[in-house]
Amino acid sequence: MGRADFTYDFPHDRLITVDDLNPLDIGILFERAEHWLEVNRTPDKKHDVLKGLTQINLFFEPSTRTLASFELAGKRLGADVVNFSAANSSTKKGETLADTARTLAAMHPDLIVVRHTASGAADFIHRETGIATINAGDGMHAHPTQGLLDLFALTRRMGDVGGKRVLIVGDILHSRVARSDVGMLNLLGAEIRLCAPPTLLPNDVDRWGAEIFHDLDDALDGCDAVITLRLQRERMSGALIPSEREYFHFWGLTERRLEFAQPDCLVMHPGPMNRNVEIDSALADNRERSLILDQVEAGVAIRMSVLEQLGTRARKNARHIR
Amino acid sequence: MTGITIRNARLVDPATGRDELASLRVENGLIAAAGDGIEQDGDHLIEANGAILAPALIDLRATIEPAFTPSGETLDSLARAAAAGGVGTMVIAPTRETPIDTPEAVSGLRSAALPLPVKTLIAGGATPGLAGEALAELGLMAECGAAFISHGNTPLANTATARQLFAYAAGFELWLASPARDAALSSGTVATESEAAARAGLAVELTASERLAIERDAVLAELTGARLMVDRVSTREGLEALARARKRGIEVCATASIAHLALNAVDADGLDPAYRMTPPLRSEEDRRALVAAVESGMIDAVVSDHRPLSGDLKAQPFAEAAPGTIALENLLAAMLGLVHEDELDLVSALRPLTSGPADLLGLPQGRLEECAPADLILIDGDAPWVLDTRDSRSARRNCAWQGRRFQGQVLMTMVDGCIIHNLRE
Repeated sequence: MGRADFTYDFPHDRLITVDDLNPLDIGILFERAEHWLEVNRTPDKKHDVLKGLTQINLFFEPSTRTLASFELAGKRLGADVVNFSAANSSTKKGETLADTARTLAAMHPDLIVVRHTASGAADFIHRETGIATINAGDGMHAHPTQGLLDLFALTRRMGDVGGKRVLIVGDILHSRVARSDVGMLNLLGAEIRLCAPPTLLPNDVDRWGAEIFHDLDDALDGCDAVITLRLQRERMSGALIPSEREYFHFWGLTERRLEFAQPDCLVMHPGPMNRNVEIDSALADNRERSLILDQVEAGVAIRMSVLEQLGTRARKNARHIR
Repeated sequence: MTGITIRNARLVDPATGRDELASLRVENGLIAAAGDGIEQDGDHLIEANGAILAPALIDLRATIEPAFTPSGETLDSLARAAAAGGVGTMVIAPTRETPIDTPEAVSGLRSAALPLPVKTLIAGGATPGLAGEALAELGLMAECGAAFISHGNTPLANTATARQLFAYAAGFELWLASPARDAALSSGTVATESEAAARAGLAVELTASERLAIERDAVLAELTGARLMVDRVSTREGLEALARARKRGIEVCATASIAHLALNAVDADGLDPAYRMTPPLRSEEDRRALVAAVESGMIDAVVSDHRPLSGDLKAQPFAEAAPGTIALENLLAAMLGLVHEDELDLVSALRPLTSGPADLLGLPQGRLEECAPADLILIDGDAPWVLDTRDSRSARRNCAWQGRRFQGQVLMTMVDGCIIHNLRE
């Protein structure tokens, strides 16, 4: 359903989880992302949609690609972008998150992009400041722009994901990406499968609306796409996973294993990859199957689309108040 | 095709409850037929003269010593002891000294055991070094042929780690043998709490330690869907906890050691270090409850818990002596003792030594069935003998039954149709 069919404006002042969105919102975001994706492929990347607005990227966790993606997105839309990273943040000096939020709010930014180790941090910043907040990852809770970009990249390649069988394999327990992907897949009507060792599955996973597997070959049966998740190094040699080699042997995605899936099954990874731990190195580089670089490209476009919607609303709300 | 026919035998098959005088024919290492008039021309004939013919025993718990231990128990000596004791299949369990905690270790032991006359299975160590701190490579060990996973004799102290272990093992549908003792409550103890133990000044273990461990493990098994093997239940309280777990529908099985079925704490009253065990020997009341649990089928497998130890480790004051006894060679005789004392009937006594453990591990042997492997023992149920460790096939002499009189002897042991022990020649 296109926007032209009736009047519907993006109604949100923040993006904390994909659960806040409905299929119409996603339609708007994908449509605009498609536009920005094309624009990003031209030499004329700079626009002024967010001209005059200030975007603060508040990153309490190390990040390279997500931070770069948000920074590029904001700059290409003409916003003034400032990065605050954990290394030189005041929290290191003992400041509470509430004080940090109020301090930043006093500088009158229009958009805050926040990443934090604590679940609920983005929601907290929005409550404290009232400023349009985009969650760039809060603890094990949510990473909505990753969920959006994953499904945007997948939809571009395979068309409507409704009724398609999509498998997420890996550390579901600690993954905000998994939670956001599952949210998106549910919204878009895909058939969801999750596969992980039992130590990397949350207790309530049977209520996620997905089919649960421990055996990857069984899980792959008939799949149209597979999303492999990053396994954090610190989880590999402890009480959760015995070793890298055991993990790869049972849950590593390989060309041979993909024979259980649909012949044209696509492979995704949110990065950064541990080659030969979650995914066979050759498979990751197989451009026929792998959407890994498509995801990165889609990331900038989706974030531009989200910033555009929230920024436009922020500008409108500000006029209204005045 | 020529085969072997064993004539005039009392066929006792715990899997079906069969107990009758008949013949049994073996061909190509398998049981070809059982009944009357089944022998064929050219068969090698064995005249049983009414002796008991039963499936060879399956022992889910024996241990070896580290390779190159001076005068230590090797796979060869262990297999000789097993064959003499009527054991056709044995499982080597991990210990702190031989933790069998990598797929390489499992493969290595399995390869080393291939030439042995006795079928030898390996239980993989559940955590590296059995330290209880991280997961061992359970999946790869299973791929390398581990029969199940065990935490040896070391209780899992950390419940959070235990939960992850149970969950991980559940994913591979592996039995997880967990010793039924609370780590902290049992630490440093050498005897079961009793007046006698108190008078003797021994550090005592509460029987509640076993109950707590079983209750905890049952909760974890329920939470994770793991298959819990209660590794050697020995008290009435522990059996009650086991019964409650079964009632809740948890997938749980249990073993008991022959020492706890045949001996009690009174045997150890003289502070003879030969009776130092883990778990410690229990009261007569506990022993009777355990025998009743064998009869009712609550106990799936009776194990030798064969633990070879050097004389130096045993020749210590009771409290300082290393725990454990060798038992492979008298496992059956001690069990038959319960039959002679009218505590158990023969089929109930043999079931946890044959079809019980076979069913747990999905083994084809352990039954007198057509096409089952011809793993058999011929027993003179009444023959008297006296245990003298100088005659032992085991490399070690630490036997709690030294000097005991037994009634019932293994005359012949056959594995896959090959006679591996024979007293009749």
